[in-house]
Amino acid sequence: MSQANALKNAPELDPITVEVIGSALNSIAEEMGEALVRASYSTNIKERRDCSTALFDSDGRTLCQAQHIPMHLGSFIDMLPHILKRHPAEELRPGDVFIGNDAYEGGGTHLPDFVLLEPIFAEGTLVAWAVNTAHHADFADRGHAHIYQEGLRIPPVRLYRAGVLQADVQALILLNCQVPRERLSNLRAQMAANRLGVARMTALCAKYGTSVVLAAGRALLDYAERKMRAGIGAIPDGTYRFSDVYENPEVPEGLEFGCEITVAGETMHLHFTAPPQVRAGLNMTRTALLATVFYAVKTIVDPGVLANAGLARPLTVTAAEGTVVSCVHPAAVNGRCSTCQRVVDLILGALAQAVPERVIAATNGANTVCLFDGAFADGTPWIYLETIGGGSGARATKDGLDGVQVHMTNTSNLPVEAFEIEYPLSLLRYELVDGSGGAGRFRGGMGLRRVYRADAPCRLRVDGSRLRTAPWGLAGGGPGATGSFDFGGAVADRGVVTLAPGQIVTVTTAGGGGYYPPEQRDPAAAARDLAEGRLDTKRPSPPAAP
Amino acid sequence: MAWRIGVDSGGTFTDACLFEEGSGRVEVWKLASTPDDPSRAIAQAVEQGLDRVGAAAETVAYFGHGSTVGTNALIQHRGVPTGLITTAGFRDLLEIGRQTRPDLYDFQVDKPPVLVARNLRLEVPERVRHDGTVETALDERAVREAARALKAAGVAAVAICFLYGFIRPEHEATARRIVAEEFPEAFACASHEVAPEFREYERLSTAVVNAYLGPIMQGYISRLGERLAQLGLAARPHLTQSNGGVIGFEQAARLPVRSVLSGPSTGVIAAQALGRMAGLADLITFDMGGTSTDVALLRGNEVRLASEATVHGYPIKAPMLDINTVGAGGGSIATIDSGGLLKVGPRSAGAAPGPVCYDRGNTEPTVTDANVVLQTLNPTHLLGGRMPVRQDLARAAIARLAEPLGMDVMATAQGIVAVVTANMARAIRVISVQRGHDPRDYTLVAFGGAGPLHAARLARELDIGSILVPRSPGILCAMGLLLTDLRSDFASTRLQLLSGASLPKLESAFTALLDKAETWFAEEGIAPAARRVVRTVDMRYEGQNYELAIPVPPGPITAASLDVLAEGFAEAHRRMYGFVAEGEPVQLVTYRVEAAGVVPKAAFPPRDDAGPDAAAALLGRRDAWLPEAGGFVSCPIYDRERLDCGNRIAGPAIVEQMDATTFILPGMTARVDATLNLILKTAS
Repeated sequence: MSQANALKNAPELDPITVEVIGSALNSIAEEMGEALVRASYSTNIKERRDCSTALFDSDGRTLCQAQHIPMHLGSFIDMLPHILKRHPAEELRPGDVFIGNDAYEGGGTHLPDFVLLEPIFAEGTLVAWAVNTAHHADFADRGHAHIYQEGLRIPPVRLYRAGVLQADVQALILLNCQVPRERLSNLRAQMAANRLGVARMTALCAKYGTSVVLAAGRALLDYAERKMRAGIGAIPDGTYRFSDVYENPEVPEGLEFGCEITVAGETMHLHFTAPPQVRAGLNMTRTALLATVFYAVKTIVDPGVLANAGLARPLTVTAAEGTVVSCVHPAAVNGRCSTCQRVVDLILGALAQAVPERVIAATNGANTVCLFDGAFADGTPWIYLETIGGGSGARATKDGLDGVQVHMTNTSNLPVEAFEIEYPLSLLRYELVDGSGGAGRFRGGMGLRRVYRADAPCRLRVDGSRLRTAPWGLAGGGPGATGSFDFGGAVADRGVVTLAPGQIVTVTTAGGGGYYPPEQRDPAAAARDLAEGRLDTKRPSPPAAP
Repeated sequence: MAWRIGVDSGGTFTDACLFEEGSGRVEVWKLASTPDDPSRAIAQAVEQGLDRVGAAAETVAYFGHGSTVGTNALIQHRGVPTGLITTAGFRDLLEIGRQTRPDLYDFQVDKPPVLVARNLRLEVPERVRHDGTVETALDERAVREAARALKAAGVAAVAICFLYGFIRPEHEATARRIVAEEFPEAFACASHEVAPEFREYERLSTAVVNAYLGPIMQGYISRLGERLAQLGLAARPHLTQSNGGVIGFEQAARLPVRSVLSGPSTGVIAAQALGRMAGLADLITFDMGGTSTDVALLRGNEVRLASEATVHGYPIKAPMLDINTVGAGGGSIATIDSGGLLKVGPRSAGAAPGPVCYDRGNTEPTVTDANVVLQTLNPTHLLGGRMPVRQDLARAAIARLAEPLGMDVMATAQGIVAVVTANMARAIRVISVQRGHDPRDYTLVAFGGAGPLHAARLARELDIGSILVPRSPGILCAMGLLLTDLRSDFASTRLQLLSGASLPKLESAFTALLDKAETWFAEEGIAPAARRVVRTVDMRYEGQNYELAIPVPPGPITAASLDVLAEGFAEAHRRMYGFVAEGEPVQLVTYRVEAAGVVPKAAFPPRDDAGPDAAAALLGRRDAWLPEAGGFVSCPIYDRERLDCGNRIAGPAIVEQMDATTFILPGMTARVDATLNLILKTAS
C-alpha cells in the first residue's frame, strides 16, 4: 500500500490522538539523541552534545527534530532529495543506512557533520526515516580556501546495505580521518540512535496502525503551519530592513550584510544581501540559510510551534546564489555557524521594528570555536573541539542571559574534569566577563572568558566574531563589549597558532546588547549588579598560572 | 502489642497512620501542619493518635516519616543564605552551568535563580590535577579569610567544592575544618561528602543545594527527634529518601540533599504498594496536597530510578525516583499576572494562614476557596466537620479577582480549577506522553488531600478512563510508610579495566560496601532472615561517559563472576544500543549494593460484596456548580466511611470523608472494590 493510499484510508483523527502521536514522535527523537550521547566516546558528543536527531516522513519532510542544535536542521532538510536523486526509492531495503556530509552533493552544511539516515518500513512500505547527525571533531589543521581543503567529501552512500556493513566504504572514510577510533565510536553510536528510532517507530505503527501514524504526522505539519500563519498574521504588515557588518579573523575588514523582511497577511518573505562568497571557511549554503531563518522566525512568531516542515510553508526566502549567505561549489563552509548567528541577529534587528517586545538585542554574535590538535606521547593524534557561549541580548522586559549558547547552537561545555583527563591541556579560569553586558534598563548578558594552558606542544585555531564591532543594543540600550583572542604572544599563521608547553591562551567572547536607556534601570537591579561585581571592567583577571 | 506509626508531613496537613502488628488494626489521624516548625504537628499527631488507640509511646516499634520540608524550601527558594568556597578561577561555574540556555526557542525563559549570590562565591588558590597530584597547595589563609568574610556577610551555610574533590578530597576536607574553626555555627559541607563523582558542575550544584537546605532539614530533623523522644518514643525514627528507601534520622541529617524528594517519593511507594494489593501494575500517581502536586508513572509496578536529576531546575546527583513536581495544590493562590492572565501558584497559603475560607487572615483566594464557592467542597465544614469554613469570605476574595478579569464570580472560581487542571495535565504529560507512554493505558491513582477532588476533571482532560481513589486518600502517604520495606543504597566509585587483574579491587569494593550494609542492618535491628542484598556494577566501554548497571551473580566473587559481568555488559549494551564493540576494553566504574530489610506490613483483608445499593451511605444532597450545566446542580453526597464493597454511584455525586472529598462528574460511575478503594470509570 502506498503512503497516498494509506492516507486516503486514514480515519478522521481526534486532537488527542494527534497530540499523543506527536509527543511519541518527539520522544522517539529525544530517545535517539540520548542513545547517541550515551554510546559515544568522543567528548564532542558524549559531553558537549554536538549532535541532533530527527524523524522525516517518506517524502523527506521533517516530522520532528529533537531539542538539540537548530543549526543541524540545515544538514537534514536537503539530504533525502540527494539520496533519492542517486538511489531510486524502489531499491531501498530495510537495514540500508546512508552516510553523507557534503555541502554540495549531499545536502550538508559543513564536512564534520556526518549524517546517517535509515529508512523505516512498516507493513512493507517506506513510512519514515530515522536521521541523525554528529559533529565529528576531526579534519583539524586544514585549509579553508575552498571545500576540497576542508576534509573528505562524502556524497550520500550506503554505509550498510540491508543490515550489512559496507566495510570498504567505512575504511575509506576512516583513513581520511585523523582520529579514527573516535570516528568509529561515533558512527556506532549514530547507528545505535537510528536503530532505536526504527524500532520505536515500527512499534508506534504497530500500536496505532500505520495509516493513523502517517495521518497524525500530516496533521502535525498542518497544525504547525496553522500556528505559524496565525502568528505571522498577528505581526503588523510591512517591510522591515536591517543591515550590519560581519567580521571575523579571516575577514577583519568586514562584510556588509542586509536583510529585508516583508510581512503580508499570513506570509513572510525574507530577502538577504551579502558580498560574493569568499575564500574563507565562513560561507553558508542555502540549507544553512533556511535552517537559520526557520529558527529565527520560530522564536519570534511562536516558540512553541512544532519544529517540523509545516513551519516553513508560510515563508519564502531569497538570496543571490554565490553570495556568502547562499554559497555554491566550491566555497569553503567549515565556520558557517558564526555567519548564521549574525543572520539571526539581522532578522531580529529587522523585526524589532514590528514586534519590539518579542525580539532580543544583539547576542555575542558568534559561534566561538577553539580547535586544538596535537599528538599524544605515543604519536597518536588527538583533536579537541569546543565552542564557547557568550552574552545573550537583553529582552524588552528582562536582562539578557549571562554566559550561554545562543541561537543556532546550544552545545554544552566539557567538564574541566573530563577536559583535562582527555587532553594535555589545562583550564585555568572559566568566568563571566565583568562589565561586558550592554548597559540598559535591561542589561545585556555577560560574555565568557576561558583561560587555557597548553601542557604539551599543540596547535590551536580559534574562530569567532564581534572582535571589532560591538553587539548592538535596542531602543537606547548600550552595546555589549567586544570579544578578544589573546594567544600569549604566539602569532597565528593562516589562523593557526602553535602553542608551546606552558603557553597560556585567553579567549573572551562578546557580551549582549542592552535594551532601553541605562538611565531607566531599576536602582535595585543596578545596586545588585554593582555588589556582585558584574559592572566592574577594571577587575584584573590575570591568568593565574599555578 | 507493638505499634508501627507512619507520619507524612506536607505543607498543609500532617497525617498519621497507626498499625498494630499482631491484630492488623489500622487507625488514621490528620492535623493541620505547623509550617513554622512542622515537627510540632507531627508530635501532636503521634500523641493524639496513640491516645486514640490507647497505646503507650513505649509500645511503638517503628516510626517512619516522609517530609516535604526540603522540596518545598527548594521550590519556594526559601533555603538559607549560602556561601561558596571554590577553586580560583571558577566562582562563576555555578551560574554558567553547562553553558546551555534553558529553552532552545523561547527567549523569555530564564535559568532558575542561582542559590549563591556572586559576591558570596569566594575563590581560594588551590589546584589538584586529574591524576590526584597537587599542582597548587591549598592556601589555608585564604580559606580562613573566606570563612570570616562569609560569616561577616551573614550566611548560614557554606558549600565547599574544588576541582577533583572526588579524587583527592584533602583540600576540601582541610577547608571544611577551617570553616568549622572560624564559623562553627554555619552548616558546612564539601562536595566529596555529598556526591563524590566526576563532572564538577553537577557535583557543585549538589553540594550547594545540600548547603542551601542543610540548616533547614537538619534543624527540622533534630527538633522532631527531640519531640519524639519527649513523647517517650523509644523506636529510632526513619525518613524516606528521594530514592524511595527508608533510612535513620542521623543518616538523613548528614546528607539532606538525598531527602529532597522525601515526601513525593513516600507517595509513590505508597501507590506502588496499593497497586500491588489492587492488582494494578500500570499507574500514574496524582498526589495533590496543599502546596504542591507530585506525579509519577509506574509501569509493571516499577518506577524509573535516576542516579541524577534536575530538581526544580537544579542538577542533583543522588538516586531519585522519577517524580515530576509542580508548585500548585489546594492552597495555591490565584493571581492575575502582568499579561492579564489568571495564574495559580506557586505561592501557597499553606496551613497558616491557609485559604481565605479558614478565616485566619489570608485574603488572597486559593484553589480550595474556589472549590468552596463551587460547593464541590463542603461550604460550611471541612475535615469531617472539625474545621468550620466561611464561604462568604472565599466568595468575596474571588469576586475581587473576578472584577479586573471582567468575569463573574462562578466563572472565575471554575477558571481557577480549570487552570490548575491544565497545570496538572501538563505535569502528567511530561512523565507519560513525553516518554512515549500513552496515559490512556494507565489508571490514575488520586490521593493527597486535594487529589480526589480534581481527579475526575484531570482524567477527562487526559482521556484517562479509570481512576482509583484509595480508601484513605488524604493519608495514603502515611499508610505507605507502613507498607514498604526498609531500604538503603551504598555505592563507591573506582575506575578500572575489566580483566583478571580487576578481581581483588572488585572483591574489596564489595566487601567494604557489604560491611556498611551489615552495619546498617544491625543498626536497624533487621533479623538475618529478613535481610536482602542486591549487588550491581556500573560498566561502560573505555571512552564512554555513561554506564550500564549490570547485576553481579549471587555468591562469592570469583574469576567466573568477571565472565558473567562481561557477558551481562555485552548483552545489556546490545539490548540498549544494538551493538557490541568486540575487543574494546570495558571499564568497571561504580559498585553498588542495595540493602533491604523486609518488615511486617499492614494488610487489608478483602470484604464481602454488599451489593450495588449505596443508599445506606447517603448523607444528603448539595448544589454544586457544574459548568457543563451552566449552573448549580443538585448532587447526592455520600459518606465514604459507610460505603461498602460493591456499592455503585453514578455521577454527578460527591463522596465526603474526613481526609478528602471525591467529586464524580456526570457521565462517570464509581464502584467500591473489595479493599474499599473507590474506582471511577468514564462511561463509554
